[in-house]
Amino acid sequence: MTAALSHRVARDSSLIAGRQLRVLRMNPARLIYPLVQPLVLLVLFVSVLGNLAVTRQAAAGSYREFLIPGIIIQNAALTAPTTGLALLRDAGSGLADRFRSLPMSRAAVLIGRLASDAMIFAVQAVLLLCAAGLLGFRVRAGLPGLAAIVAVAVAFGLSVAVASAWLALLINDAETAERVLFFPAIAIAFVSSAFAPVGELAGWMQPIARANPVTAAAGLVRSLANEGPAVFPALELGCWVAGLLLVPGILAVRQWQAPS
Amino acid sequence: MAGVVKAFGEVTAVDKVDLTVSPGTLAALLGPNGAGKTTLVRIIATLTRPDAGLVRVLGYDVAAHPAQVRARIGLTGQYAGLDEGLRGRDNLVLIGRLAGLQRRHACQRAAELAGTFGLTDAVDRAVRTYSGGMRRRLDLAASLMTRPALLVLDEPTTGLDPASRQKLWAVLAELRAEGTTMLLTTQYLEEADRFADVVHVLHRGRIIASGTAAQLKARVGRQVAEIRLDDPALAPAAVHALARRLSLPPGEIRTESGVGQLTLTAPDGTATLLAAAAALAADKITVADLGLRLPSLDEAFLALTGAAVSQPRSRR
Repeated sequence: MTAALSHRVARDSSLIAGRQLRVLRMNPARLIYPLVQPLVLLVLFVSVLGNLAVTRQAAAGSYREFLIPGIIIQNAALTAPTTGLALLRDAGSGLADRFRSLPMSRAAVLIGRLASDAMIFAVQAVLLLCAAGLLGFRVRAGLPGLAAIVAVAVAFGLSVAVASAWLALLINDAETAERVLFFPAIAIAFVSSAFAPVGELAGWMQPIARANPVTAAAGLVRSLANEGPAVFPALELGCWVAGLLLVPGILAVRQWQAPS
Repeated sequence: MAGVVKAFGEVTAVDKVDLTVSPGTLAALLGPNGAGKTTLVRIIATLTRPDAGLVRVLGYDVAAHPAQVRARIGLTGQYAGLDEGLRGRDNLVLIGRLAGLQRRHACQRAAELAGTFGLTDAVDRAVRTYSGGMRRRLDLAASLMTRPALLVLDEPTTGLDPASRQKLWAVLAELRAEGTTMLLTTQYLEEADRFADVVHVLHRGRIIASGTAAQLKARVGRQVAEIRLDDPALAPAAVHALARRLSLPPGEIRTESGVGQLTLTAPDGTATLLAAAAALAADKITVADLGLRLPSLDEAFLALTGAAVSQPRSRR
């Protein structure tokens, strides 16, 4: 029974993910924004802040090394709401009623969406790392380090995406959700160590920034890039990711199938 | 289903409805906007949970065994359940596979249905490029991927041009000939009349009449007498004269203000007409034209719902 059920979840999820990827293949224009956005963010932040915020750093180069992992994570946080918005768009369509009236797995709608979005997160992280490489960003651990950074960006992005999915379905209005979801994404991106060490932030921000998963994720990417201590930030981020995937994940699936 | 109730806030969309659809028949739910048709369909398709009552679909309780119900029905909702960004074929295969078909079977079935529905040339195009009629047909094809034992259609022809409507009806007639049990909602009496084995008239959440189309028409199908007066100003006097001499309640006589036209039901046909003419002549009211005719579809529907002016209510 359990095996049959998990087989069904896996099969239906891959069908839904396949649907998303096919839509992208047929409408490649939809990929332009998600792929250009990270590069624009990188160029903007490095150009504006890269040479400015050198006051307490030894050299501009080292701030850049600090900033680029922050941008990778911030980009994932800013991309994540699109998962929720896409799911909400589906939920209001006739297609959602079709899915709900099929004997398919209820979780597959969310899991399939996440699976296809994981690819977007991964491609964005790879693009950012390539562009950052051109700007002089080096990852000492080489290819395994780069792979680990991409994995962190994907895991972090997916966990925020799940939270956005739940919130979007809860709000249940596309226009409101669009405004509501990007705001916390921006807030968590800034009240963190993404752009400055926690100690440099305004006093009231510091406790929030320390608890923020963006801080944990950015810290982990920095450690992976410099071969610094990675175990503790990895554990901290792991807890966040597991918690966000599980709790809002279950709530989102429930919200999706809730009969009116 | 028995004693089914569903309310949305203050509005009772479905009010103690009992309904049975016999296997192999086509049942029509006929009603104006806001009558509760969509809510009933959504309850049957496990999309809405009733507040009270028992609903069994093909032997399964929708509340206790929704998965069993979903595995056996096909739903064509009011809004096409299709992915606009995908090709027609991809939609059919995706929905078939999600319903449990193997890839090979889903592909075969998709090609077969595309042929049946006259979409063979269109299935390799994105649904976004389809006309309304093609979309409806593809949506219906999607509901048929698994050969459901019960097909539920919510206003399948609303918004279609007459040619597309005919095409869709041809397909439904074929399905009925194959023995598929169908329940469909419609706003068009003519449609229910032509195709349904049993018609249930739904009004404000209640089934107010059930029967074959012929039975329903017999209930309201008395002829009407139409009388046009020479002088429209005499209409009130004419109503008075008819009410008195034919002992009719004045409400039974409808007047079209300004043109001096009176309409009344004529249970005895020509005899009623002659009596009416005599009544008017006795009061010296002259008549320009008078005749008998069958009630229009609108009149039949209005007679059944008993409300010439139904208050607008929210859908579902």
